Amino acid sequence: MPERVSRIALLGGIYANDLALQAVLADARQRGAEAIHCLGDLGGFGPHPDAIFPLLDAAKAECVQGNYDLAVAQGAADCGCGYTDPRDNAFARVSYAYTVRHTSPVTRRRLAALPPQRRILVGAWRLLLVHGSPRQINEFLWESTTPDGLLERWCRQLDTDVLCFAHTGLKWHRALASGRHAINAGAVGRPENDGTPRVWYTLVTATPDLQVEFVPVAYDHEGLARAMERASLPPEFVETIRTGWWTSCLEVLPVKERARGAY
Amino acid sequence: MIAPSMSEARATCLPAVPLHDLRAVWFQLAGTLCNLSCRHCFNSSGPRDPWLAPLESAVVRAHLEEAESLGVREIYFTGGEPLLHPDILPLLEAALAVAPTTVLTNGTLIDDGLADRLAILAAGSAYSLEIRLSVDGATAEEHDAIRGRGTFGRVLAAARRLSLRGLHPIVTAVEGLDRTPRAEPLYGRLRATLRAAGVERPRIKILPVLPLGRCDGGESRRLSPADLDGVDTDRLECAQARVVAAGGIYACPILAGLAVARVGTARLTDALGPVTLAHRACVTCHETALTCRNA
Repeated sequence: MPERVSRIALLGGIYANDLALQAVLADARQRGAEAIHCLGDLGGFGPHPDAIFPLLDAAKAECVQGNYDLAVAQGAADCGCGYTDPRDNAFARVSYAYTVRHTSPVTRRRLAALPPQRRILVGAWRLLLVHGSPRQINEFLWESTTPDGLLERWCRQLDTDVLCFAHTGLKWHRALASGRHAINAGAVGRPENDGTPRVWYTLVTATPDLQVEFVPVAYDHEGLARAMERASLPPEFVETIRTGWWTSCLEVLPVKERARGAY
Repeated sequence: MIAPSMSEARATCLPAVPLHDLRAVWFQLAGTLCNLSCRHCFNSSGPRDPWLAPLESAVVRAHLEEAESLGVREIYFTGGEPLLHPDILPLLEAALAVAPTTVLTNGTLIDDGLADRLAILAAGSAYSLEIRLSVDGATAEEHDAIRGRGTFGRVLAAARRLSLRGLHPIVTAVEGLDRTPRAEPLYGRLRATLRAAGVERPRIKILPVLPLGRCDGGESRRLSPADLDGVDTDRLECAQARVVAAGGIYACPILAGLAVARVGTARLTDALGPVTLAHRACVTCHETALTCRNA
Protein backbone atom coordinates (compact mmCIF):
# COMPACT_ATOMS: atom_id res chain seq x y z
CA MET A 1 0.00 0.00 0.00
CA PRO A 2 1.55 3.37 -0.98
CA GLU A 3 1.90 6.41 1.29
CA ARG A 4 -1.45 7.69 2.47
CA VAL A 5 -2.70 10.88 0.80
CA SER A 6 -5.79 12.97 1.36
CA ARG A 7 -6.50 14.26 -2.16
CA ILE A 8 -6.09 12.51 -5.50
CA ALA A 9 -7.07 13.17 -9.09
CA LEU A 10 -8.77 10.40 -11.04
CA LEU A 11 -8.43 10.52 -14.82
CA GLY A 12 -10.76 8.59 -17.14
CA GLY A 13 -9.86 7.67 -20.74
CA ILE A 14 -7.13 9.89 -22.19
CA TYR A 15 -7.70 8.68 -25.75
CA ALA A 16 -4.41 10.02 -27.16
CA ASN A 17 -5.48 13.60 -26.40
CA ASP A 18 -2.18 15.03 -25.14
CA LEU A 19 -3.40 18.64 -25.10
CA ALA A 20 -6.32 17.88 -22.78
CA LEU A 21 -4.07 15.76 -20.56
CA GLN A 22 -1.56 18.60 -20.15
CA ALA A 23 -4.32 20.98 -19.11
CA VAL A 24 -5.86 18.47 -16.69
CA LEU A 25 -2.53 17.67 -15.03
CA ALA A 26 -1.79 21.37 -14.55
CA ASP A 27 -5.25 21.95 -13.08
CA ALA A 28 -4.95 18.97 -10.72
CA ARG A 29 -1.56 20.18 -9.47
CA GLN A 30 -2.95 23.65 -8.92
CA ARG A 31 -5.85 22.22 -6.90
CA GLY A 32 -3.54 20.29 -4.64
CA ALA A 33 -3.89 16.74 -5.87
CA GLU A 34 -1.18 14.72 -4.11
CA ALA A 35 -1.38 11.82 -6.53
CA ILE A 36 -2.70 11.23 -10.04
CA HIS A 37 -4.38 7.98 -10.98
CA CYS A 38 -5.37 7.13 -14.52
CA LEU A 39 -8.08 4.53 -15.12
CA GLY A 40 -6.84 3.26 -18.49
CA ASP A 41 -7.47 3.71 -22.22
CA LEU A 42 -4.50 5.90 -22.97
CA GLY A 43 -4.98 5.58 -26.74
CA GLY A 44 -7.87 5.61 -29.20
CA PHE A 45 -9.86 8.44 -30.81
CA GLY A 46 -7.16 11.15 -30.60
CA PRO A 47 -4.02 11.75 -32.67
CA HIS A 48 -1.00 11.23 -30.37
CA PRO A 49 -0.86 7.85 -28.59
CA ASP A 50 2.90 8.06 -28.04
CA ALA A 51 2.68 11.45 -26.33
CA ILE A 52 0.75 10.22 -23.29
CA PHE A 53 3.24 8.23 -21.19
CA PRO A 54 5.82 11.05 -21.09
CA LEU A 55 3.20 13.42 -19.64
CA LEU A 56 1.99 10.83 -17.12
CA ASP A 57 5.56 10.02 -16.12
CA ALA A 58 6.36 13.67 -15.53
CA ALA A 59 3.33 13.88 -13.22
CA LYS A 60 4.30 10.59 -11.50
CA ALA A 61 0.86 9.28 -12.42
CA GLU A 62 -0.11 5.65 -11.81
CA CYS A 63 -2.33 3.80 -14.30
CA VAL A 64 -4.47 0.72 -14.54
CA GLN A 65 -4.89 -1.03 -17.87
CA GLY A 66 -7.87 -0.29 -20.08
CA ASN A 67 -9.27 -2.48 -22.83
CA TYR A 68 -7.60 -0.28 -25.44
CA ASP A 69 -4.23 -0.61 -23.73
CA LEU A 70 -4.62 -4.37 -23.51
CA ALA A 71 -5.68 -4.68 -27.16
CA VAL A 72 -2.83 -2.53 -28.50
CA ALA A 73 -0.31 -4.31 -26.29
CA GLN A 74 -1.45 -7.71 -27.48
CA GLY A 75 -1.88 -6.75 -31.13
CA ALA A 76 -5.53 -7.84 -30.89
CA ALA A 77 -7.81 -7.77 -33.92
CA ASP A 78 -9.97 -5.00 -32.44
CA CYS A 79 -10.07 -2.59 -29.52
CA GLY A 80 -12.30 -4.80 -27.40
CA CYS A 81 -14.42 -1.79 -26.57
CA GLY A 82 -17.52 -3.95 -26.25
CA TYR A 83 -19.67 -2.36 -28.96
CA THR A 84 -22.34 -4.51 -30.58
CA ASP A 85 -23.74 -2.14 -33.20
CA PRO A 86 -22.25 -2.07 -36.73
CA ARG A 87 -22.02 1.75 -36.83
CA ASP A 88 -20.22 1.84 -33.48
CA ASN A 89 -17.87 -0.91 -34.61
CA ALA A 90 -17.11 0.81 -37.93
CA PHE A 91 -15.87 3.93 -36.11
CA ALA A 92 -14.05 1.80 -33.55
CA ARG A 93 -12.14 0.01 -36.35
CA VAL A 94 -10.91 3.32 -37.83
CA SER A 95 -9.77 4.58 -34.46
CA TYR A 96 -8.05 1.31 -33.51
CA ALA A 97 -6.20 0.96 -36.81
CA TYR A 98 -4.87 4.52 -36.46
CA THR A 99 -3.81 3.96 -32.84
CA VAL A 100 -2.00 0.71 -33.61
CA ARG A 101 -0.15 2.35 -36.54
CA HIS A 102 0.99 5.23 -34.34
CA THR A 103 1.97 3.34 -31.19
CA SER A 104 5.68 2.63 -30.81
CA PRO A 105 7.07 -0.65 -29.46
CA VAL A 106 8.19 1.20 -26.33
CA THR A 107 4.68 2.48 -25.63
CA ARG A 108 3.29 -0.95 -26.39
CA ARG A 109 5.53 -2.55 -23.77
CA ARG A 110 4.48 0.04 -21.22
CA LEU A 111 0.80 -0.63 -21.98
CA ALA A 112 1.36 -4.37 -21.59
CA ALA A 113 2.88 -3.85 -18.15
CA LEU A 114 -0.06 -1.92 -16.70
CA PRO A 115 -1.94 -3.73 -13.91
CA PRO A 116 -5.67 -4.49 -14.28
CA GLN A 117 -6.45 -2.90 -10.92
CA ARG A 118 -4.94 -0.91 -8.07
CA ARG A 119 -5.86 -0.52 -4.43
CA ILE A 120 -5.04 2.80 -2.78
CA LEU A 121 -5.88 4.73 0.35
CA VAL A 122 -7.23 8.27 0.40
CA GLY A 123 -7.36 9.22 4.05
CA ALA A 124 -8.88 6.16 5.65
CA TRP A 125 -10.93 5.32 2.56
CA ARG A 126 -9.97 2.17 0.67
CA LEU A 127 -10.30 2.71 -3.07
CA LEU A 128 -10.30 0.02 -5.76
CA LEU A 129 -9.39 1.33 -9.21
CA VAL A 130 -10.36 -0.60 -12.36
CA HIS A 131 -11.06 0.36 -15.96
CA GLY A 132 -14.49 -1.09 -16.83
CA SER A 133 -15.80 -3.01 -13.86
CA PRO A 134 -14.26 -5.34 -11.27
CA ARG A 135 -15.38 -8.34 -13.32
CA GLN A 136 -14.77 -7.22 -16.89
CA ILE A 137 -12.29 -4.77 -18.38
CA ASN A 138 -14.78 -3.48 -20.96
CA GLU A 139 -18.04 -3.53 -19.02
CA PHE A 140 -19.93 -0.26 -19.46
CA LEU A 141 -21.08 1.04 -16.08
CA TRP A 142 -23.45 3.82 -17.10
CA GLU A 143 -25.18 5.81 -14.41
CA SER A 144 -28.63 4.70 -15.53
CA THR A 145 -27.80 1.00 -15.86
CA THR A 146 -25.72 0.30 -12.77
CA PRO A 147 -27.96 -0.70 -9.87
CA ASP A 148 -27.12 0.06 -6.27
CA GLY A 149 -27.54 -3.64 -5.40
CA LEU A 150 -24.72 -4.59 -7.76
CA LEU A 151 -22.38 -1.85 -6.51
CA GLU A 152 -23.00 -2.76 -2.87
CA ARG A 153 -22.37 -6.43 -3.63
CA TRP A 154 -19.08 -5.66 -5.38
CA CYS A 155 -17.91 -3.40 -2.55
CA ARG A 156 -18.70 -6.12 -0.01
CA GLN A 157 -17.11 -8.92 -2.01
CA LEU A 158 -14.00 -6.92 -2.85
CA ASP A 159 -13.65 -5.39 0.58
CA THR A 160 -13.49 -1.83 -0.65
CA ASP A 161 -15.10 1.47 0.36
CA VAL A 162 -14.91 3.28 -2.97
CA LEU A 163 -15.15 1.64 -6.35
CA CYS A 164 -13.59 3.76 -9.14
CA PHE A 165 -13.94 3.02 -12.84
CA ALA A 166 -14.34 4.73 -16.23
CA HIS A 167 -14.68 3.19 -19.76
CA THR A 168 -17.98 4.89 -20.61
CA GLY A 169 -16.64 8.44 -21.04
CA LEU A 170 -19.47 9.83 -18.89
CA LYS A 171 -18.81 10.77 -15.28
CA TRP A 172 -21.03 10.06 -12.30
CA HIS A 173 -20.85 9.51 -8.57
CA ARG A 174 -23.20 7.70 -6.23
CA ALA A 175 -23.12 7.55 -2.45
CA LEU A 176 -24.53 4.15 -1.52
CA ALA A 177 -26.82 3.39 1.40
CA SER A 178 -24.02 1.52 3.18
CA GLY A 179 -21.84 4.64 3.18
CA ARG A 180 -19.66 3.34 0.36
CA HIS A 181 -19.20 5.14 -2.94
CA ALA A 182 -19.07 4.42 -6.68
CA ILE A 183 -17.28 6.84 -9.02
CA ASN A 184 -17.16 6.83 -12.78
CA ALA A 185 -14.37 9.28 -13.61
CA GLY A 186 -15.61 9.97 -17.15
CA ALA A 187 -12.94 10.86 -19.72
CA VAL A 188 -10.11 13.31 -20.10
CA GLY A 189 -9.68 12.81 -23.84
CA ARG A 190 -13.19 13.40 -25.10
CA PRO A 191 -15.86 15.90 -24.08
CA GLU A 192 -18.88 14.93 -22.05
CA ASN A 193 -21.56 14.92 -24.80
CA ASP A 194 -22.88 18.13 -23.26
CA GLY A 195 -22.35 20.61 -26.08
CA THR A 196 -19.15 22.14 -24.71
CA PRO A 197 -15.59 21.19 -25.72
CA ARG A 198 -14.28 21.07 -22.12
CA VAL A 199 -13.22 17.79 -20.55
CA TRP A 200 -13.52 16.56 -16.97
CA TYR A 201 -11.49 14.85 -14.31
CA THR A 202 -12.34 13.88 -10.73
CA LEU A 203 -10.91 15.06 -7.42
CA VAL A 204 -11.37 12.68 -4.50
CA THR A 205 -10.66 14.17 -1.09
CA ALA A 206 -10.79 12.71 2.42
CA THR A 207 -11.86 15.46 4.83
CA PRO A 208 -12.15 12.84 6.54
CA ASP A 209 -15.57 12.33 4.85
CA LEU A 210 -15.25 11.45 1.20
CA GLN A 211 -15.68 14.43 -1.13
CA VAL A 212 -16.04 13.81 -4.85
CA GLU A 213 -15.72 16.77 -7.19
CA PHE A 214 -15.92 16.68 -10.96
CA VAL A 215 -13.70 19.38 -12.43
CA PRO A 216 -14.25 20.84 -15.91
CA VAL A 217 -11.15 21.85 -17.84
CA ALA A 218 -10.92 24.01 -20.93
CA TYR A 219 -7.96 23.25 -23.19
CA ASP A 220 -6.70 23.96 -26.70
CA HIS A 221 -9.40 21.85 -28.31
CA GLU A 222 -9.05 23.70 -31.60
CA GLY A 223 -5.37 22.73 -31.69
CA LEU A 224 -6.35 19.12 -31.13
CA ALA A 225 -9.05 19.30 -33.81
CA ARG A 226 -6.51 20.60 -36.33
CA ALA A 227 -4.04 17.85 -35.37
CA MET A 228 -6.80 15.27 -35.89
CA GLU A 229 -7.55 16.75 -39.32
CA ARG A 230 -3.87 16.60 -40.26
CA ALA A 231 -3.87 12.96 -39.15
CA SER A 232 -6.91 12.28 -41.38
CA LEU A 233 -8.96 11.02 -38.47
CA PRO A 234 -12.72 10.88 -39.22
CA PRO A 235 -14.50 14.25 -39.42
CA GLU A 236 -17.08 12.86 -37.00
CA PHE A 237 -14.37 12.60 -34.31
CA VAL A 238 -13.16 16.13 -35.03
CA GLU A 239 -16.71 17.47 -34.79
CA THR A 240 -17.00 15.95 -31.31
CA ILE A 241 -13.83 17.71 -30.17
CA ARG A 242 -15.08 21.05 -31.51
CA THR A 243 -18.74 20.88 -30.47
CA GLY A 244 -18.72 18.67 -27.40
CA TRP A 245 -21.43 16.45 -28.85
CA TRP A 246 -20.73 12.77 -29.45
CA THR A 247 -21.23 11.82 -33.08
CA SER A 248 -19.95 8.23 -33.00
CA CYS A 249 -20.13 5.18 -30.74
CA LEU A 250 -23.56 6.38 -29.65
CA GLU A 251 -25.50 3.18 -30.16
CA VAL A 252 -24.13 1.66 -26.96
CA LEU A 253 -25.64 4.44 -24.82
CA PRO A 254 -28.65 3.56 -22.65
CA VAL A 255 -31.76 5.60 -23.35
CA LYS A 256 -31.33 8.11 -20.52
CA GLU A 257 -27.76 8.96 -21.54
CA ARG A 258 -28.65 8.93 -25.24
CA ALA A 259 -31.49 11.39 -24.72
CA ARG A 260 -29.11 13.95 -23.17
CA GLY A 261 -26.96 14.28 -26.31
CA ALA A 262 -27.62 16.01 -29.61
CA TYR A 263 -27.63 12.86 -31.77
CA MET B 1 -35.78 -31.04 -15.30
CA ILE B 2 -32.85 -29.68 -13.34
CA ALA B 3 -29.71 -29.15 -15.37
CA PRO B 4 -27.26 -32.01 -15.00
CA SER B 5 -23.85 -31.47 -13.52
CA MET B 6 -20.83 -30.81 -15.72
CA SER B 7 -19.69 -34.44 -15.38
CA GLU B 8 -23.16 -35.71 -16.29
CA ALA B 9 -23.22 -33.43 -19.31
CA ARG B 10 -19.89 -34.78 -20.52
CA ALA B 11 -21.24 -38.29 -20.16
CA THR B 12 -24.14 -37.42 -22.45
CA CYS B 13 -21.84 -35.69 -24.95
CA LEU B 14 -23.63 -32.38 -24.58
CA PRO B 15 -21.64 -29.31 -23.57
CA ALA B 16 -22.48 -27.52 -20.34
CA VAL B 17 -21.95 -23.90 -19.42
CA PRO B 18 -21.56 -22.59 -15.87
CA LEU B 19 -23.22 -19.35 -14.85
CA HIS B 20 -20.55 -16.66 -15.01
CA ASP B 21 -22.53 -13.85 -13.39
CA LEU B 22 -26.25 -13.35 -12.99
CA ARG B 23 -26.37 -10.14 -15.00
CA ALA B 24 -29.92 -10.31 -16.31
CA VAL B 25 -33.19 -11.69 -15.01
CA TRP B 26 -35.96 -12.08 -17.54
CA PHE B 27 -39.65 -12.37 -16.74
CA GLN B 28 -41.87 -14.19 -19.22
CA LEU B 29 -44.54 -11.82 -18.00
CA ALA B 30 -47.32 -12.57 -20.45
CA GLY B 31 -46.41 -16.21 -20.93
CA THR B 32 -47.15 -16.86 -24.58
CA LEU B 33 -50.23 -14.66 -24.65
CA CYS B 34 -49.98 -12.16 -27.49
CA ASN B 35 -52.32 -10.06 -29.63
CA LEU B 36 -50.37 -11.10 -32.76
CA SER B 37 -49.46 -14.49 -34.24
CA CYS B 38 -46.21 -13.74 -36.03
CA ARG B 39 -45.08 -16.17 -38.69
CA HIS B 40 -41.63 -16.60 -37.16
CA CYS B 41 -42.45 -16.52 -33.44
CA PHE B 42 -39.92 -18.72 -31.66
CA ASN B 43 -42.27 -19.51 -28.79
CA SER B 44 -45.47 -19.72 -30.86
CA SER B 45 -47.22 -16.94 -28.96
CA GLY B 46 -50.72 -15.93 -29.94
CA PRO B 47 -54.09 -14.66 -28.74
CA ARG B 48 -55.72 -18.01 -28.00
CA ASP B 49 -54.90 -20.73 -25.48
CA PRO B 50 -51.34 -19.75 -24.56
CA TRP B 51 -49.29 -22.86 -23.86
CA LEU B 52 -47.34 -20.93 -21.23
CA ALA B 53 -49.40 -19.02 -18.66
CA PRO B 54 -48.74 -15.38 -17.70
CA LEU B 55 -46.86 -14.83 -14.44
CA GLU B 56 -48.71 -13.89 -11.30
CA SER B 57 -47.74 -10.43 -10.03
CA ALA B 58 -46.76 -11.74 -6.59
CA VAL B 59 -44.32 -14.16 -8.23
CA VAL B 60 -42.74 -11.32 -10.20
CA ARG B 61 -42.37 -9.13 -7.13
CA ALA B 62 -40.79 -11.94 -5.08
CA HIS B 63 -38.25 -12.64 -7.79
CA LEU B 64 -37.46 -8.96 -8.26
CA GLU B 65 -36.54 -8.79 -4.60
CA GLU B 66 -34.39 -11.89 -4.92
CA ALA B 67 -32.74 -10.57 -8.09
CA GLU B 68 -31.74 -7.39 -6.28
CA SER B 69 -30.12 -9.35 -3.48
CA LEU B 70 -28.16 -11.33 -6.07
CA GLY B 71 -26.74 -8.13 -7.59
CA VAL B 72 -28.56 -8.37 -10.91
CA ARG B 73 -27.72 -5.67 -13.44
CA GLU B 74 -30.74 -5.75 -15.78
CA ILE B 75 -34.40 -6.78 -15.77
CA TYR B 76 -36.34 -7.77 -18.90
CA PHE B 77 -40.11 -8.14 -19.35
CA THR B 78 -41.13 -10.30 -22.29
CA GLY B 79 -43.80 -12.67 -23.52
CA GLY B 80 -45.88 -13.01 -25.56
CA GLU B 81 -46.85 -9.40 -25.40
CA PRO B 82 -45.94 -8.11 -21.92
CA LEU B 83 -48.14 -5.04 -22.27
CA LEU B 84 -51.15 -7.38 -22.07
CA HIS B 85 -50.31 -8.22 -18.45
CA PRO B 86 -52.95 -6.53 -16.26
CA ASP B 87 -50.30 -5.25 -13.81
CA ILE B 88 -47.70 -4.19 -16.32
CA LEU B 89 -47.31 -0.61 -15.09
CA PRO B 90 -47.04 -1.32 -11.33
CA LEU B 91 -44.67 -4.20 -12.07
CA LEU B 92 -42.56 -1.95 -14.25
CA GLU B 93 -42.40 0.57 -11.45
CA ALA B 94 -41.29 -2.17 -9.05
CA ALA B 95 -38.64 -3.40 -11.49
CA LEU B 96 -37.31 0.10 -12.09
CA ALA B 97 -36.77 0.49 -8.36
CA VAL B 98 -34.35 -2.44 -8.56
CA ALA B 99 -32.49 -2.11 -11.86
CA PRO B 100 -32.71 -0.82 -15.43
CA THR B 101 -35.61 -2.53 -17.12
CA THR B 102 -36.44 -3.37 -20.70
CA VAL B 103 -39.85 -4.22 -22.16
CA LEU B 104 -39.92 -6.31 -25.34
CA THR B 105 -43.11 -5.47 -27.21
CA ASN B 106 -44.64 -5.59 -30.66
CA GLY B 107 -45.61 -1.95 -30.11
CA THR B 108 -49.13 -2.24 -31.41
CA LEU B 109 -50.68 -1.41 -28.03
CA ILE B 110 -48.69 1.77 -27.41
CA ASP B 111 -51.09 4.65 -27.95
CA ASP B 112 -50.51 8.22 -26.73
CA GLY B 113 -51.92 7.44 -23.29
CA LEU B 114 -49.66 4.45 -22.68
CA ALA B 115 -46.64 6.30 -24.11
CA ASP B 116 -47.32 9.10 -21.61
CA ARG B 117 -47.52 6.65 -18.71
CA LEU B 118 -44.30 4.93 -19.77
CA ALA B 119 -42.57 8.31 -20.02
CA ILE B 120 -43.72 9.19 -16.48
CA LEU B 121 -42.36 5.88 -15.16
CA ALA B 122 -39.06 6.44 -16.96
CA ALA B 123 -38.69 9.96 -15.60
CA GLY B 124 -39.41 8.74 -12.07
CA SER B 125 -36.59 6.21 -12.02
CA ALA B 126 -32.84 6.67 -11.75
CA TYR B 127 -32.50 3.65 -14.02
CA SER B 128 -33.18 3.46 -17.74
CA LEU B 129 -36.49 2.15 -19.02
CA GLU B 130 -35.83 0.69 -22.45
CA ILE B 131 -38.65 -0.15 -24.83
CA ARG B 132 -37.74 -2.69 -27.48
CA LEU B 133 -40.01 -2.73 -30.51
CA SER B 134 -40.09 -5.62 -32.95
CA VAL B 135 -40.02 -4.38 -36.55
CA ASP B 136 -39.33 -7.20 -38.98
CA GLY B 137 -38.58 -5.44 -42.24
CA ALA B 138 -38.02 -1.99 -43.63
CA THR B 139 -41.36 -1.81 -45.44
CA ALA B 140 -44.97 -2.57 -44.62
CA GLU B 141 -44.87 -5.32 -47.22
CA GLU B 142 -42.00 -7.16 -45.49
CA HIS B 143 -43.15 -6.56 -41.92
CA ASP B 144 -46.88 -7.21 -42.37
CA ALA B 145 -46.20 -10.48 -44.17
CA ILE B 146 -44.64 -11.70 -40.93
CA ARG B 147 -46.59 -9.88 -38.23
CA GLY B 148 -50.02 -9.26 -39.73
CA ARG B 149 -51.75 -6.63 -41.82
CA GLY B 150 -51.54 -3.08 -40.58
CA THR B 151 -48.97 -3.80 -37.88
CA PHE B 152 -46.13 -1.92 -39.59
CA GLY B 153 -47.97 1.38 -39.43
CA ARG B 154 -48.91 0.77 -35.80
CA VAL B 155 -45.40 -0.07 -34.62
CA LEU B 156 -43.90 2.88 -36.50
CA ALA B 157 -46.46 5.13 -34.83
CA ALA B 158 -45.41 3.68 -31.46
CA ALA B 159 -41.74 4.30 -32.26
CA ARG B 160 -42.55 7.90 -33.11
CA ARG B 161 -44.62 8.40 -29.94
CA LEU B 162 -41.86 7.02 -27.74
CA SER B 163 -39.17 8.97 -29.53
CA LEU B 164 -41.09 12.22 -29.10
CA ARG B 165 -41.16 11.59 -25.35
CA GLY B 166 -37.40 10.94 -25.16
CA LEU B 167 -37.90 7.18 -24.80
CA HIS B 168 -35.87 6.46 -27.93
CA PRO B 169 -36.82 2.83 -28.56
CA ILE B 170 -34.52 -0.01 -29.53
CA VAL B 171 -35.90 -1.56 -32.71
CA THR B 172 -35.17 -5.26 -33.07
CA ALA B 173 -35.47 -7.00 -36.41
CA VAL B 174 -34.98 -10.61 -37.42
CA GLU B 175 -32.80 -10.85 -40.50
CA GLY B 176 -33.19 -13.76 -42.88
CA LEU B 177 -36.97 -14.09 -43.03
CA ASP B 178 -37.34 -12.18 -46.28
CA ARG B 179 -35.82 -14.13 -49.17
CA THR B 180 -36.05 -11.26 -51.66
CA PRO B 181 -32.56 -10.20 -52.80
CA ARG B 182 -31.82 -6.66 -51.53
CA ALA B 183 -29.01 -4.29 -52.46
CA GLU B 184 -28.57 -3.12 -48.88
CA PRO B 185 -28.67 -5.07 -45.59
CA LEU B 186 -31.72 -4.72 -43.37
CA TYR B 187 -29.86 -2.55 -40.83
CA GLY B 188 -29.34 0.33 -43.26
CA ARG B 189 -32.77 0.10 -44.85
CA LEU B 190 -34.49 -0.01 -41.48
CA ARG B 191 -32.49 2.97 -40.26
CA ALA B 192 -33.62 5.00 -43.26
CA THR B 193 -37.24 3.92 -42.77
CA LEU B 194 -37.24 4.89 -39.11
CA ARG B 195 -35.70 8.27 -39.80
CA ALA B 196 -38.25 8.93 -42.54
CA ALA B 197 -41.01 8.02 -40.09
CA GLY B 198 -39.85 10.67 -37.62
CA VAL B 199 -37.89 8.41 -35.30
CA GLU B 200 -35.13 10.81 -34.43
CA ARG B 201 -32.46 8.46 -33.10
CA PRO B 202 -32.96 4.99 -34.52
CA ARG B 203 -31.39 2.31 -32.34
CA ILE B 204 -31.37 -1.04 -34.09
CA LYS B 205 -30.61 -4.57 -32.98
CA ILE B 206 -30.52 -7.33 -35.59
CA LEU B 207 -31.39 -10.87 -34.52
CA PRO B 208 -31.07 -14.21 -36.33
CA VAL B 209 -33.94 -16.56 -37.16
CA LEU B 210 -34.28 -19.10 -34.37
CA PRO B 211 -35.12 -22.67 -35.39
CA LEU B 212 -37.99 -23.32 -33.02
CA GLY B 213 -41.62 -22.44 -32.48
CA ARG B 214 -43.12 -21.42 -35.81
CA CYS B 215 -39.69 -21.57 -37.50
CA ASP B 216 -38.98 -25.12 -36.37
CA GLY B 217 -37.60 -26.80 -39.46
CA GLY B 218 -36.86 -30.09 -37.77
CA GLU B 219 -33.13 -29.34 -37.50
CA SER B 220 -31.55 -32.13 -35.48
CA ARG B 221 -27.99 -30.88 -34.98
CA ARG B 222 -26.81 -30.39 -31.41
CA LEU B 223 -23.64 -28.88 -30.00
CA SER B 224 -20.86 -31.15 -28.81
CA PRO B 225 -18.29 -30.26 -26.16
CA ALA B 226 -15.74 -29.84 -28.97
CA ASP B 227 -17.86 -27.01 -30.44
CA LEU B 228 -17.05 -24.93 -27.37
CA ASP B 229 -13.28 -25.43 -27.54
CA GLY B 230 -11.70 -21.99 -27.51
CA VAL B 231 -15.09 -20.27 -27.27
CA ASP B 232 -15.68 -17.59 -24.66
CA THR B 233 -18.78 -19.17 -23.17
CA ASP B 234 -19.21 -16.30 -20.72
CA ARG B 235 -20.88 -14.31 -23.49
CA LEU B 236 -23.70 -16.87 -23.88
CA GLU B 237 -27.03 -15.78 -22.50
CA CYS B 238 -27.26 -18.86 -20.30
CA ALA B 239 -23.92 -17.89 -18.70
CA GLN B 240 -25.31 -14.51 -17.68
CA ALA B 241 -29.06 -14.76 -17.29
CA ARG B 242 -31.99 -16.69 -15.92
CA VAL B 243 -35.66 -16.52 -16.85
CA VAL B 244 -38.64 -16.60 -14.54
CA ALA B 245 -41.63 -18.12 -16.31
CA ALA B 246 -44.66 -20.18 -15.42
CA GLY B 247 -43.42 -23.51 -14.09
CA GLY B 248 -40.03 -22.41 -12.85
CA ILE B 249 -36.70 -20.85 -13.67
CA TYR B 250 -35.24 -21.37 -17.13
CA ALA B 251 -31.79 -21.12 -18.69
CA CYS B 252 -32.50 -18.56 -21.40
CA PRO B 253 -35.31 -16.43 -22.84
CA ILE B 254 -35.45 -18.39 -26.08
CA LEU B 255 -36.21 -21.66 -24.31
CA ALA B 256 -38.37 -20.33 -21.46
CA GLY B 257 -41.16 -22.72 -20.62
CA LEU B 258 -39.49 -25.77 -22.20
CA ALA B 259 -38.69 -28.61 -19.84
CA VAL B 260 -35.27 -29.10 -21.42
CA ALA B 261 -34.24 -25.62 -20.26
CA ARG B 262 -35.71 -25.62 -16.77
CA VAL B 263 -32.97 -25.17 -14.18
CA GLY B 264 -35.03 -24.58 -11.05
CA THR B 265 -38.53 -24.61 -9.74
CA ALA B 266 -38.96 -21.75 -7.32
CA ARG B 267 -36.00 -19.58 -6.35
CA LEU B 268 -33.36 -17.96 -8.56
CA THR B 269 -30.79 -18.80 -5.91
CA ASP B 270 -31.38 -22.49 -6.54
CA ALA B 271 -31.15 -22.12 -10.33
CA LEU B 272 -27.60 -20.89 -10.71
CA GLY B 273 -25.95 -24.19 -11.63
CA PRO B 274 -24.48 -25.11 -15.02
CA VAL B 275 -26.74 -25.37 -18.04
CA THR B 276 -26.61 -28.13 -20.66
CA LEU B 277 -26.72 -26.84 -24.23
CA ALA B 278 -29.21 -29.47 -25.26
CA HIS B 279 -31.44 -27.67 -27.74
CA ARG B 280 -30.99 -27.00 -31.46
CA ALA B 281 -31.48 -23.28 -30.75
CA CYS B 282 -28.23 -23.47 -28.74
CA VAL B 283 -26.46 -24.05 -32.09
CA THR B 284 -27.85 -20.76 -33.44
CA CYS B 285 -26.89 -18.91 -30.29
CA HIS B 286 -23.36 -20.33 -30.45
CA GLU B 287 -22.86 -19.72 -34.17
CA THR B 288 -24.32 -16.22 -34.36
CA ALA B 289 -23.00 -14.92 -31.02
CA LEU B 290 -26.61 -13.96 -30.30
CA THR B 291 -27.25 -12.00 -27.16
CA CYS B 292 -30.86 -11.46 -26.19
CA ARG B 293 -29.91 -8.50 -24.02
CA ASN B 294 -29.87 -4.98 -25.41
CA ALA B 295 -26.11 -4.87 -26.01
